[in-house]
Amino acid sequence: MKYVVVVAIAALGLAGMLLPATEPVTADAVPASELPPVAICPVVEVGERHTNLSVLSSVNGAGRLSTFSAGEVTGSLDFRTGGTGAVTVAAAEANAVGVSGGLIEMPSDATAAAALITSPELRAAESCADIPSGQTFISGGSTVSGSFFEIQLINPYAGEATVDLTVTTETGIESDHRFDAVIVPPLSTITRDLTQIIPGREQISVRVDTTRGSVLTFGRQTTDGASALWRAVPAGQEWLLPVPPGGPLKRMIIATPENAEIEYQVDLFGPDGYVEGHATGVLEPRGLALVPLAAVSDGAFGVRVIATGPVVASLWMSSDQTLASTTASQVEAPVWLLPGASSPPGGSGSLVILNAGIETATVNIRTLGDQAVVRSVDVAAEGVLVEDLVAAAGYRVEASSPVVAMWTSNLGGEGTAATGIPLQDG
Amino acid sequence: MAVRMSQTTPQVADSELTEETPGAPLVRILITAVPGADLEAALAVVGRQVYEPSPQIAVIGEGLEVPDGVATSSSLEEAINSTDSTIDYLWILHADARPRPDALSALIAEIERNEASLAGSKLLKAGTPDELESVGGATDVFGEPYSGLDEGEIDLQQYDVVREVAFVQSASMLVRRDLAQGLRGLDPLLPPVASGLDFSQRTRLAGGKVISVPSSEVYHQGRCFAPGSGWREQAGRLRAMLTAYSPLTLLWVVPYDLLVSFVDSIISLLMLRWRPLARHVMSWLWNLYHLPSTISQRRRLRSVRSEGDEELFRFHAKGSVRLRAIGEEISGRVLSVFDDDQALARGSRRVFGSPGIWGAALAALVVILSARTIIFIGMPDVGFAFPFEPPSIAFQRWFGGWNEAGLGSAHPVHPSVGLTGLSSLLMFGSEGAARTVLTLVLAIVGVVGFGRLGGRLGLRGPGRYLAGLVLLAGPGTALLVGRGSWLALAAAALLPWAVRAAFIHPGESRRGLVGRAGWALLTGLLLAALSPLLAVVPLITVLVWRALGGTGSKLLLAATALAGSLAGVAFVIGDLSWVTDPSLRLNLTVSDLWPAAVAVIAIPFVLDETRLRTMALTGGLLSVVSLAIARVVPMAPGVQEAVLVLASFGAGMAVAAALDGFSRNPVRLVASLAAIAVVVVSAGTLMNGRLGLPSGDVNDRLGFASTLAGEDGPGRILFASTERALVPGQATAGPGFWYRVVDGTGMTHDEVWLPTPGLGEEQLARELTDIASGTELRPGRALADFAIDWVVLEGPTFVLDDALLAQLDLVPTPLDPASRVYENSEAAPLAGTPDDPWTRDGTGFSGTAGDSPVPLAIDFAPGWEPDGTESSWATVVSGEQGRAWYSPTLVQLALPLAVIAGFVAALGLIGIGSRRP
Repeated sequence: MKYVVVVAIAALGLAGMLLPATEPVTADAVPASELPPVAICPVVEVGERHTNLSVLSSVNGAGRLSTFSAGEVTGSLDFRTGGTGAVTVAAAEANAVGVSGGLIEMPSDATAAAALITSPELRAAESCADIPSGQTFISGGSTVSGSFFEIQLINPYAGEATVDLTVTTETGIESDHRFDAVIVPPLSTITRDLTQIIPGREQISVRVDTTRGSVLTFGRQTTDGASALWRAVPAGQEWLLPVPPGGPLKRMIIATPENAEIEYQVDLFGPDGYVEGHATGVLEPRGLALVPLAAVSDGAFGVRVIATGPVVASLWMSSDQTLASTTASQVEAPVWLLPGASSPPGGSGSLVILNAGIETATVNIRTLGDQAVVRSVDVAAEGVLVEDLVAAAGYRVEASSPVVAMWTSNLGGEGTAATGIPLQDG
Repeated sequence: MAVRMSQTTPQVADSELTEETPGAPLVRILITAVPGADLEAALAVVGRQVYEPSPQIAVIGEGLEVPDGVATSSSLEEAINSTDSTIDYLWILHADARPRPDALSALIAEIERNEASLAGSKLLKAGTPDELESVGGATDVFGEPYSGLDEGEIDLQQYDVVREVAFVQSASMLVRRDLAQGLRGLDPLLPPVASGLDFSQRTRLAGGKVISVPSSEVYHQGRCFAPGSGWREQAGRLRAMLTAYSPLTLLWVVPYDLLVSFVDSIISLLMLRWRPLARHVMSWLWNLYHLPSTISQRRRLRSVRSEGDEELFRFHAKGSVRLRAIGEEISGRVLSVFDDDQALARGSRRVFGSPGIWGAALAALVVILSARTIIFIGMPDVGFAFPFEPPSIAFQRWFGGWNEAGLGSAHPVHPSVGLTGLSSLLMFGSEGAARTVLTLVLAIVGVVGFGRLGGRLGLRGPGRYLAGLVLLAGPGTALLVGRGSWLALAAAALLPWAVRAAFIHPGESRRGLVGRAGWALLTGLLLAALSPLLAVVPLITVLVWRALGGTGSKLLLAATALAGSLAGVAFVIGDLSWVTDPSLRLNLTVSDLWPAAVAVIAIPFVLDETRLRTMALTGGLLSVVSLAIARVVPMAPGVQEAVLVLASFGAGMAVAAALDGFSRNPVRLVASLAAIAVVVVSAGTLMNGRLGLPSGDVNDRLGFASTLAGEDGPGRILFASTERALVPGQATAGPGFWYRVVDGTGMTHDEVWLPTPGLGEEQLARELTDIASGTELRPGRALADFAIDWVVLEGPTFVLDDALLAQLDLVPTPLDPASRVYENSEAAPLAGTPDDPWTRDGTGFSGTAGDSPVPLAIDFAPGWEPDGTESSWATVVSGEQGRAWYSPTLVQLALPLAVIAGFVAALGLIGIGSRRP
C-alpha cells in the first residue's frame, strides 16, 4: 500500500507541475458600443441673436432638447419629429440664456440637427454633432482689425473636461497660459476670445486635444458684422466639397495640425469635367494654405482635397456683407440630411450636390417641413447639381450612389453655408 | 498570610499532662452526630483518649442510642449551655472524626501553653496514607479558606508548628467552656467548614486566640461533607462574613464580593462550568432567606465583641482567593495548550529541554511578529476580510434574518456570522477589538493546534509546531489569505483541532469517548461555521490514515466531526452555487513548485518504519491530491476553499513528520531540508505583518458615502473593476468588468458572500450592460432605483470609464485618488421616498408612520412586514407602523435552532465526558 501511495504522490506531484492550470474566470464580453443618438449644438441667446435648432429624422420619434449652462441644465424641451420627420425648436423655449450649449437626444441614429443663429444683422448655421473622440482641429479664424474670432468649448456631460489648445498663427505657435489645460466644467461652455488674447493675427488654426472628458469645439468668426460658425473636426487625408455658384469671394483653406510638412492636391469637378491637380502644394508644419476658388467658375463645382497627412479643408465665402464657412466632408454617402436648409423668407438658398463618382447618380430631393415635396433629378458623373431651396425645416437627399451635399442661403447679403450630415444606412 | 509562630511542639503530648494532675482542666467532649458516621466507633475512639480526669461525653443529635454514661442533647447550643461550670473546656468532635489517643491531651497542652481560647486539630483524611485535610488556615476577606495545602499533600510533619490561624475546622476543636457559652456554640445552620470559620471569627472578635495544634491528629472521614452541598459552604461563609464584620466593613465587602461572584461566574461559564454561577445564586438566595437569623447572630456577637475587624484582617490573605485560583487555572490551561509534554508542569528546569516548548515558542513568536501590523494598526478591510457587525445584528442575520449583501436576500448569511457576533458579544460589543483578538487568537490556536495534533499522532519534536506555519501560510492557504480570505485563515486554524478530535493518543485508552465525541462535534461545528465543506476533512484524514495502516483514529469521532457540517447546511442550501458553480471561483493558481516540494518531503518516508511514515504519507497524499485538483479542476468557491486549505493541512502534516527529528540518512535529510524550505517560504508569506492578509482599507476609502450622506443615510455604492481582486468580497461578472453593490455604511463580514441573484440583481445586470454599451445617457437615473448613491471604478480604465465620459447625471467627484468616483444625485433612498426617507433600524427600517406604502430598494422576498408586496423587483411595505422588518419562515429558523442544539449537545457531551472516570 505504501508504495502505491508513494507512486500516487509522485505522479500527482508531477501532474501538478506539468498540467496546465485552469483558465482564469473572466468577466462577460464587453457589449458592442451603441452610443445614444445625440447632437451637441452651440446656442446663442444674446440680445436679438437667437438660435433655432432644426432636427431631421428618418423616423417619427420623440426627442429632447436640454440646454445647459454653468454646470446646470437650464431647461429641457421634449419634441417629436412628426410625420414629416422634421421639427424646428427654438432654444429659447428650453430656457437657453447667453452663450451656452444644447444637447439634443434624437429619436434614432438616422437623425441630424443643425443650429441656425439669426439676428437682424447676421445669420450663421452649422451642423450639430456628437463629440468626436481624440483630437480635433479648426482653422480659418482671424483677429485682424475688424475681425473677431472666438472659440466655444462645450462640455454637455456630467464630468469635468480638460482640453489643451494649440493655437497656430502666421507667427507660429502662440504661447499663452489660457490655452493650456483649459478646464471645461460639466454642463458648461467656455469661450476663449482670441481677439483679446492674440489680436492682429490673420490666419489662426486651433488644435484641440481633449485630455479628460468630452468637449465639442465651435469657432465663431465675425467680420464687419457678418458672422460664420463652424465646428472643429478630426483631420483627414481626403475631403470632398460641393461649392455653390456665384456669390461672394470663395476660397478654400487647407490646414494641418501636424508638426510636419504635408503635400496636398486639389482636384476640381467643374464645368470642364474632372480636373486633377488644379492646385498642389506643401503645407508647412502646422501650416495653412489658401486656395482661391473664385476664378474657377461662377457656377457650382466640386472640390476634392487629397493630402499626404492629416488636414482639414474648409470653404470660406466672403464679401462685404457676407461671411460663411463650412467644413468639407470626408465621406460620400447615398443619403444626406440637411437640417436648417431653407430659403429664408425674402432670401434665397441653394442645395449643391457633388457626384464624384464615375456614374450618373439619380437623386431624390425631399423637402421636409409643412409641405413635403420630392424631386428626382440626375447628377452627372463627376458633376455637380444645384437646386434652389424653398422654405422648409430641412432637406433629405437620397442618391442612387454616394454623393456629397451642402447648402447655402442668403438673406439681404447675409449668407450661411453648411455641409449636410451623411447617413450611411439611410 | 500572616501567621504568628509559636514554639515547635513535640508530636506527643507532654507526659505530665497524661497523668492525673490535681489542676488538670476538666473537659467535656461533645460529639456531633453526622449522617452515615458510625457513632459507636466514634465513642469507642474517644474512650481511648489518654487524658485524666476522664472527660464527660455527650452526643449531639436526636433519637440516638448511646451507651450508659453518655449524655445526649438535641442541639449543640443546648449541650453547651447545659455544661456545668466546673468544666474548663469543650472538645467539639464530629462523629466521623477518629482522633489519635493523645489528640485531646495535645490540644489541652497547647491551648494552655498558648493561652488560647480555641484550638483545632490537624485533620488527616481517613483511609489515606496520611493525606492532609486541614492544619487550620487563612481566609480572604470573603471568608474563602486558603489552606496552603496542595491537592493530595502527604503529612510529613512539614506543618507541625503551633500557630495562630484564621480558623480551624469544626471537625475537632477545643474551646474554652465559658467562651463557648458566651458565643452560644456553633451556628447550627452552617456546614462544617463554614461553622468552624464562623466560630473562629467570633472567638477572635471576642478576644480569644485561635490556634492550630498539629500534634493533635485526627483522622476525618469527611462524611459531614454532604454531596452537592458546596453552595451551602459558600452560603455559610457569606453568613459568617455578614455576622462578623462591622457595618462599615460590610459596606465595601458586600459589593466587592458581588463583583467577585460575577467575575467568577462569567469566567467559569467560559470554561464550561455552570456550577459556580449556581452556587453564587443559591448562596445569596439562602442568605437573603436567613437574613433575620443572621441579624440575630450579629446581635448576640455584639454583646461579647471586644475586638474590631482589624483582628480578623490580620489573618486574611490578600485579594480574592477565588479569583487567584481562577487565574492560576487559566494560566495553567493556557500553558498546557502549548505544553502537552507537561514540561512546564514538571518544573522550569526541564522546560528548556522540551523540544515541543521550543517549537511552540518559536512558532508563536513568528505568528506574533507576523501579526505586528494587525496589533499596532488594525485589521485590513479588503478582499474578503471585513469588520464584524454589532452582535445583535449579527445574531439576527444568522438566526434567519435578512441578508443584506448585494440588494438583499432571504438566503442565509455565511454561518461564520453567528461566531463573529458571539466574539463581539464576548468583547462587550467592541467588534473591532473582537476581530483583532479573534484573528490573533486563531492564528496562535492554529499553530498550537497543529502541534497538538502532531503530539496526538505520536510526534514529539519541535517541527509539529513549526508545521503550523505551513498550515496558515502553506500552498493553498496563502493563496486564499492573500486574496483577503479571513475565513480561510480562521478555518485553517481550527482544522487541526477538528482532526485531532478524531484521533486518540497511543497512550490513552478508550475512556472518555463521550467527551471526545463532544469535542469532535464542537470542533466540527466551529469548523463548518467558518468553512462548511472543511468538516469532511477529519473523516478524509482518518480514512487515508487507516488505509496507510495508521492506528489510533476513530471513525466514529471523525463522523461526529462531519456531523458538525450542520452549521453550514443553511448557507449551502440557500446558495448551492457556492458549492456547485465553478464560474464563481476565485482566480487562484497554485504554483507548480508546491506539489513537487510536498512530494520531495513525503516520498522519503516510504523507507521509514515508524509512525512518521504514516503521517508523512497521509499528509503528502492529501496535499498533492488537493494541489493537483486545485490546479487543474475548476471548482466552485466553497470547494476551492476547502481543497486549498486541505492542501496546506496535508503539507503541514508532511512537514511535521519531516521535522520531528533529524536523520543522517541522505534521503531523510533531503526531506528535512525540503520541509525547512517550505516552512521558511510559509513564514515569509506570513511575515507581511498581517498574517498574509493583503493591505488596504476599502471602508476607509469609501467613507465619503457615510460622511456625505443626507438625512436618509448612506445608500449603496456600485463598485466595479476589471481586476476582480480589487472588488471587495464576492464579485459578479459584468460586461467587461467585475462589480458588486456595497453597503454605503461600510462593508461588513456578513456581506462578503453574495446570495443567489434575485430579480433586482438581474435588473441591475441589464442596466449595467446598457450603461457599459454607452446607450444610457442617464446612468444615474438607471441606477437610482437601486439606491446606488455612488459609482466607484477601480484599477485600469475600462468600458465603464468610457461610457461614463458621455453621460448626464453621474458627477465625477475626486474623493478618492485611487479610484474614479461618481456621485449619483438621482438615487432613491434605500427605504422610503426622497421626501420621507426611512433609515436603517437593526436589520430592518424605520421612519415616519403614515398611510402611504413605503418602497424598499431591496430584492423582494416574502416575509417583509407589514404587508410586504413586490414592486417590480423591489419591495413595498405598509407605512402604518413606522417600521419594516423581515420575518423568517419556520424553516429558516429551524436550521439555526438545530445548530444551537448541536452546540448544546456538544457541550453537554463534553460536560458528561469530563465527569466520567
